[in-house]
Amino acid sequence: MRQGLTRYIIRRGLQSLFLVWIATLIGFTIYQLAPGGPLQFLDDDPKRTAADFERLSALYGLNRPILIQYLAWLTGEDWFAMLPGGAVWQSGQCRANPERCGRGILRLDFGRSFYFKGSNVIDLIAERIPATFLLGFSSLVISVVVGIPSGIYAALNRGKLPDHIIRVTTVLVNTVPEWWIGLLLLIILGGYLRLVPLGGMETIGDGSLPDRLHHLALPAVVSAISGWISISRIMRFEMLEVLNQDYVRTARAKGLPEHLVIWRHVLRNAILPFVTGLSGIFLLFLSGSILFELVFSWPGMGRLAVIAINSRDYPVMMGLFVISSFLGIMGVLMVDILYSLVDPRVKYEL
Amino acid sequence: MKGYRYPTHWLVVVLAVFALLATQCAPPAAPTPEAQVTPTAAPTETGAPVAQQELTPTLAATLEVSQQVITQVVEESEAAKAREPKKGITVVSDEDVTTPRTKRGGEYKDVATSDAVSFHPYLTTDTASSSYQGMVYTSGLLRLDENTLQYIPNMAEKYSVSEDGLTFTFHLRKGMLWSDGQPITAHDFEWTYQQVINPANEFPYLSQLEFIKSYKALDDYTLEIKIEKVYCPSLGQMAGLITPLPKHVWEKLPWNDPDKNPEMNKPSVVSGPYKLVEWKRDQYAIFEANENYWYRGAPNISRYVIEIVPDQDVAYQKMKTGESDTGPITPDKLKEARQLPNITVYEWWPAAALWSYIGLNMRPGFPTHDLHVRRGLSYAIDKDLLTEQVMQGQAKRMCSVYPETSWVYNPDVPCYDYDPEKAIAEFKQAGYTFQDGKMVDPNGKQLRLKLFFGPHTSKTRELIAVTVQDYLRRIGVETDIQALEWSTFLEALHSKEPDWDMYIGAWQATIEPHIMYTIWAEENIPQLNSVAYINKEVEKLFEEAGSNCDVEFRKERYQKIQRIIAEDAPYVFLFYNKAWSGQNKRIKGIIPTALGIGWNMEDWYIEEAPTP
Repeated sequence: MRQGLTRYIIRRGLQSLFLVWIATLIGFTIYQLAPGGPLQFLDDDPKRTAADFERLSALYGLNRPILIQYLAWLTGEDWFAMLPGGAVWQSGQCRANPERCGRGILRLDFGRSFYFKGSNVIDLIAERIPATFLLGFSSLVISVVVGIPSGIYAALNRGKLPDHIIRVTTVLVNTVPEWWIGLLLLIILGGYLRLVPLGGMETIGDGSLPDRLHHLALPAVVSAISGWISISRIMRFEMLEVLNQDYVRTARAKGLPEHLVIWRHVLRNAILPFVTGLSGIFLLFLSGSILFELVFSWPGMGRLAVIAINSRDYPVMMGLFVISSFLGIMGVLMVDILYSLVDPRVKYEL
Repeated sequence: MKGYRYPTHWLVVVLAVFALLATQCAPPAAPTPEAQVTPTAAPTETGAPVAQQELTPTLAATLEVSQQVITQVVEESEAAKAREPKKGITVVSDEDVTTPRTKRGGEYKDVATSDAVSFHPYLTTDTASSSYQGMVYTSGLLRLDENTLQYIPNMAEKYSVSEDGLTFTFHLRKGMLWSDGQPITAHDFEWTYQQVINPANEFPYLSQLEFIKSYKALDDYTLEIKIEKVYCPSLGQMAGLITPLPKHVWEKLPWNDPDKNPEMNKPSVVSGPYKLVEWKRDQYAIFEANENYWYRGAPNISRYVIEIVPDQDVAYQKMKTGESDTGPITPDKLKEARQLPNITVYEWWPAAALWSYIGLNMRPGFPTHDLHVRRGLSYAIDKDLLTEQVMQGQAKRMCSVYPETSWVYNPDVPCYDYDPEKAIAEFKQAGYTFQDGKMVDPNGKQLRLKLFFGPHTSKTRELIAVTVQDYLRRIGVETDIQALEWSTFLEALHSKEPDWDMYIGAWQATIEPHIMYTIWAEENIPQLNSVAYINKEVEKLFEEAGSNCDVEFRKERYQKIQRIIAEDAPYVFLFYNKAWSGQNKRIKGIIPTALGIGWNMEDWYIEEAPTP
């Protein structure tokens, strides 16, 4: 049993790494295919000449074939010099100063940003992780706290008025883009009623806990909406499924009071997927934050991604891509493993 | 497996989202969505207002406004004279730079929609970074006078030009200090110059320095700059060419490695009006007055805070509620903003105006290759109405390459006032026939043109596009409109095999007329000269005007150029924009000029008053 589990984890882990690698390959190609490049800011600038453009291209190694650039990103470019004639594949910067050679993602070097003028990609991302986690975690808590009870309530009142109300509301809210709801609420609550701040994480120069909570409230609630809806729906579905099980009928038949049936037999079984999957859901929450971070001036990874994408900052884009792919795949992996631990019917084979 | 399953196609989703963003995303943080000719040199020209397309607020948009509109058409001859590097002359400043300011205190709250990238003055190209750098680093041996638009001594208290016009000597003011108390000397300038010209040091505009033969500190306070050959805009170019960095701090640090050079993102020794207190990327930057600032000491306003807000609407709301002292006003909000009780809207016609045009593809094989077609198109569009409709009175017509605010402006050029009959006549000369409301080419096919623009989010350009489509339909020409994301637009525009007939573009005019040469030179096809305009006579006139610095001689050349280009009609010239800025009424001392309102920012002061 133990051994089987270990083998299962190792196998799934290796598969996941392979998946991340394939993802990077696809990601890198897609980014390169998008029009423009990291030097596009010079494209229509009359102060630069074609020579400036070429000089910078060579300096950054952007004039190399895509495959070489990918190889440099993956494995680093310092070792190119060891190959006969390999130095020509190094970027100009690396040739001029070995300290500036990339060491490649395999050696955990995420490279340096173009847009942020040589800043380390990993620093840029690390700077933003706390904000993204805070928002993701808060909205997760809210969606669970609201979603589970409303799902249970709907299930227990299936086909009755509360069920319909909850269903219609969720469908309605679901049809409207949440970022739009966010912007609307921001302008109404923040602009006209002045109940909440107009975005940001803290008042400049304040940053106390109440101030931070004040800033957090609206973005957390708005970004929790979609999570709340899906959790509530799934909860309702799980509940209904369990309610139809034989053991529930048995429990009722032996005369157990209804609240005990619900509490002991139904809820426990229905809620299982959430408890085990929470970590996974959390990681998924992180990936959905781009639009909210934009609307609420939230200084997280989503905003960094938008900046990187707009400026074609390949290293930053790839860094975020790898990290979010990694988090996502780890999330799924964790869910699978936890689920298999909790539910013995799940086999460790694939 | 039963129950809730997590999507195993998660990766595919991520990929799709990223791919979608990569191709579709609107650019809130993108580089200026506008083709720009930037005013004469210098990464940090603190005084120059950059009115961007749809008035994207930058810190430079703290350069802003009064209720009366200031029109500053330059006194031609006088201003022009000073702009020339006169030969064998010496200019001395008698300006008082020592009297301290008296209305000190308070905090100014600014908002911006895009944050700076770095404080390194020689790596960045975006306006937000320039503004941040302008806060902490002083630049400009000379600066533009806000009334005459002449270059006057600034950090140099005296300069002279040799008889042959090739050697420029600048005498720095004594007593200018870095914020740590060390003197600012000519060696700081020279050292910085030496770093910048090293090709490994990544300066994006290295070619801008090519006209300089040598740049030397003769002693602590004397700089000598030599140039290869007489080049009329050179004095202006030199004025702000080098923003000195503190040699005594920087020489121990690697020039461009933010890991090992903390000064790049957190400058500790500065020369500008403000010192950086704290910068949190994408959140805020806080500055405090620099007591050692060389120009009359610390600025009046003691603290300057910039908050980053990604959305213009939110930024506007902040200004409205008094959370910030300024905010971006989009053209559609201008009327409302003028009525706000706590806001003064300052407006001015900038010397470096932003002007819009429709570029016509002049390459062989395109209908617009034919001069008569281009003229026909020019006649077919009612540019007065377009100006009025699209810009709601916030713009003026323009008929050739220089706006009315330029000292070389030539009013006597063909302007192609709206006249559908003339338009049809021109098309007939090109071999087209106008029948049954259709403009038909000799092969019997109706003329269809492709008009495209970017970024797709630009309301102004969209409005121009549909208006043009409507006018062209009236003379039987069909127009296919395409709106593209900014990068995609640039790629299509600069393609070696273009597939478009017309595009909507804009340029930032320059105070020095010669800079506009770049967009008409054959060597700059297809990048800056995207319409592929080739006219050897125009190039010759530009060359002459750049190398003979006699004012009247130059003016005559530029006027001739305006006439020829208007006759060739490579663009349908549309309009140039007014600029404006909203400021809280508690901020006093703002004087709008043709340079905007930022030129005297150090003299602004705060009077505590209405914040509703």
